[in-house]
Amino acid sequence: MTAKYVIGVDLGTTNSVIAYSDLEAESPAVELLEIPQLVAASTIENRKSLPSFLYLATEADQEGGKLELPWDDGQTFATGEWARRQSADTPDRTVGGAKSWLSHHKVDRQGNILPWNAPEEVGKISPVEASKRYLQHLVAAWNEAQPEHAFADQAVVLTVPASFDASARELTHEAAIAAGFPADFTLLEEPQAAVYSWLGHMGDKWRKALKVGDKLLVCDVGGGTTDLTLITVEEEAGELVLKRMAVGNHLLVGGDNMDLALAFHVAELFKEKNVTLDPWQSVSLWHSCRAAKEQLLQDDGPDKYPVSILGRGSKLIAKTVSVDVEREPIKAMLLEGFFPSCSATDKPERGFVSGFQELGLPFESDPAVTRHLAEFLSQHSEKAGSAIHPTHVLFNGGVFKSEPFQKRLMDTINSWQPDQPLQRLEGDHDLDYAVARGAAYYGFAKEKNGIRIRGGTAQAYYVGIQTSGLAIPGAPRPLHLLNVVPIGMEEGTETDVPSAEIGLVVGETTKFRFFSSPIRKDDKPGQMIQRWDEAEISETDSLEASLPRDDKINEPYVPVTFHSKVTELGMLELWCVSSKTSGRWKLEFNVREED
Amino acid sequence: MSRIGLAFKLFFQILFNAEVAERAETLSLPAPAEQAAKPETPPPPPKPKPEKPQRPDGIDALVLLATLQREARFLDLFQEDLSEYDDAQIGAAVRDVQRDTKSTLNRLFAISPVRDEEEGGRIELPESYDAGEIRLVGNVQNDKPSGGTLVHRGWRATKCDVPKFSGTLAQAQVLNPAEVEV
Repeated sequence: MTAKYVIGVDLGTTNSVIAYSDLEAESPAVELLEIPQLVAASTIENRKSLPSFLYLATEADQEGGKLELPWDDGQTFATGEWARRQSADTPDRTVGGAKSWLSHHKVDRQGNILPWNAPEEVGKISPVEASKRYLQHLVAAWNEAQPEHAFADQAVVLTVPASFDASARELTHEAAIAAGFPADFTLLEEPQAAVYSWLGHMGDKWRKALKVGDKLLVCDVGGGTTDLTLITVEEEAGELVLKRMAVGNHLLVGGDNMDLALAFHVAELFKEKNVTLDPWQSVSLWHSCRAAKEQLLQDDGPDKYPVSILGRGSKLIAKTVSVDVEREPIKAMLLEGFFPSCSATDKPERGFVSGFQELGLPFESDPAVTRHLAEFLSQHSEKAGSAIHPTHVLFNGGVFKSEPFQKRLMDTINSWQPDQPLQRLEGDHDLDYAVARGAAYYGFAKEKNGIRIRGGTAQAYYVGIQTSGLAIPGAPRPLHLLNVVPIGMEEGTETDVPSAEIGLVVGETTKFRFFSSPIRKDDKPGQMIQRWDEAEISETDSLEASLPRDDKINEPYVPVTFHSKVTELGMLELWCVSSKTSGRWKLEFNVREED
Repeated sequence: MSRIGLAFKLFFQILFNAEVAERAETLSLPAPAEQAAKPETPPPPPKPKPEKPQRPDGIDALVLLATLQREARFLDLFQEDLSEYDDAQIGAAVRDVQRDTKSTLNRLFAISPVRDEEEGGRIELPESYDAGEIRLVGNVQNDKPSGGTLVHRGWRATKCDVPKFSGTLAQAQVLNPAEVEV
């Protein structure tokens, strides 16, 4: 059955959104799907986004149809707004931030580990399972709204952070397929989606807004993650084309850190008044702080903003306490903490201890987005051989609703390149829904041969090869890295990796250490690297291949070389190929191993 | 039943029940709208629809109240006795409740003014304006006037998305369960 709609799905760290467009239309008209969800027991409301939270219901809440959805009445959990609320009342039964866990190599992402630190009896689930359930909810919401056009028959685009490495993409892919996505759905990087959304808003006018040689910085600060992407405008056969030039590392810092930092500050003010807050009040404080932040940071904002904590019981007024939060300290704390002015050569401080860390996830030790940006640009300048000066910036993420953050970021970049002032990309920057909308727009462009951003893989990938040589007791054999995928390998292409043959043992699982780098642009497949800087190349999940015992293979091991492939849908595949038996074995990510 | 309670009850019944709304309209015309809240005999209780016993009449009103309480602590504020507190203390509490009530009402009803002009200014009235949208006050003659001073911009719900409740009436009547920390 051919698709009638293209559907863009933004599986966010804190909110998920579905956008869609009719493929039969002349030009894409992207709409958001209203997502029915539980907002309280037995109560369904339509919202434009589905909070990415999951409530593992108590037995009492599982009874009497309290978890009933229009499409299902046998669930033992709730996703969405009710679950988000429950995270204040029953944190041990609420899963949040599952997406951040997907890219965390130190834990078993198929293992039932969430809610982190919760007692076993709640029936913990894995980060992959949580993601699957959010996506399942979105699929069901679509099928409820469009019973004639099943989700599985449509053209679907799912977004992932640009900095998600191959194994995190693989896990997202797995969750989506299990949730009922069509087998041929496409993965798209979130910052690119934001650009597509802008392209969609601008229509043909974009060709006037950007010219050949322009470098567009996409600065995406979401609830939990920050993603930096650089896109260049080039000319091919007389046409302007967009090319993705560089992608930053996966940074676990976002708007939630800011609200939390503010909430900590305000909680201290309450403490001075001898008011200690319970967890429920802390969450409502967090909510109030977000509103306070937006007010206080406005250019002509008030000098003081009252933040109140409502009484917990029904005696609301009697127990309400409030403090005046002053503008200057807050502005200093948030701007200097997250967007400090810094020089182009600054680097994020490693091992800097910040006050707002949560156990478990490897949050950035330095929350300064500007310093991460300086490092990102200087690393890529080094590789490119000359300084990179972005000409335009596109903002994405709710954090940038506070204009001072936009301004500070631009001022900081301008201090690095006083001769070439950076421009805010003209037109609408849709901060909340750009990713889902852009995904739908991309799907439309893909079907109709519209403008596409080219760029291929964001990272280069390497297989770790233990060198043979004399074994020295106590010293591990040196590890060399074999490049198997270069940066920028295009979708729909494959390549043989020329190298010496490697022996795979038959009937056993052979493990390879696996590494990635968003920076080393010049490495070609087959290139062996003996020394590298750990800031350039980082280890990710290991790979494993298992050769079955086979009559054709009489020897204890089979010599193989590697073959890599990037599918049309953006998935990376690595194969071992034997010249002797002409057999091929796919390497699978091992995401279970714990370090 | 106290008058204010009855008025509240009627308000929600009129809002959500077409039949009651129709009755209220006949009551309110031609008398001024203020008098609609004090009819001589209370309207009969709404008849439960036999085909849909699981969605009793008025349940939407209860769900709306529960929603406002959940999202904005609406009942906690309006059930309090204000005479016990000074203005600053009330103000501190109201600020948050007002912010959240407003955002909830706007999400569910997308409330917008009927007229976009500034209040206090003169507006022109077309030959055939909708008398449901514009109410003439002051020296009202039989001839339709060409314009007048806008004293109130009016409010209009541009949608009605009250959450759907699948439980029983008894469950809906619990607007906020008692909470016990263990």
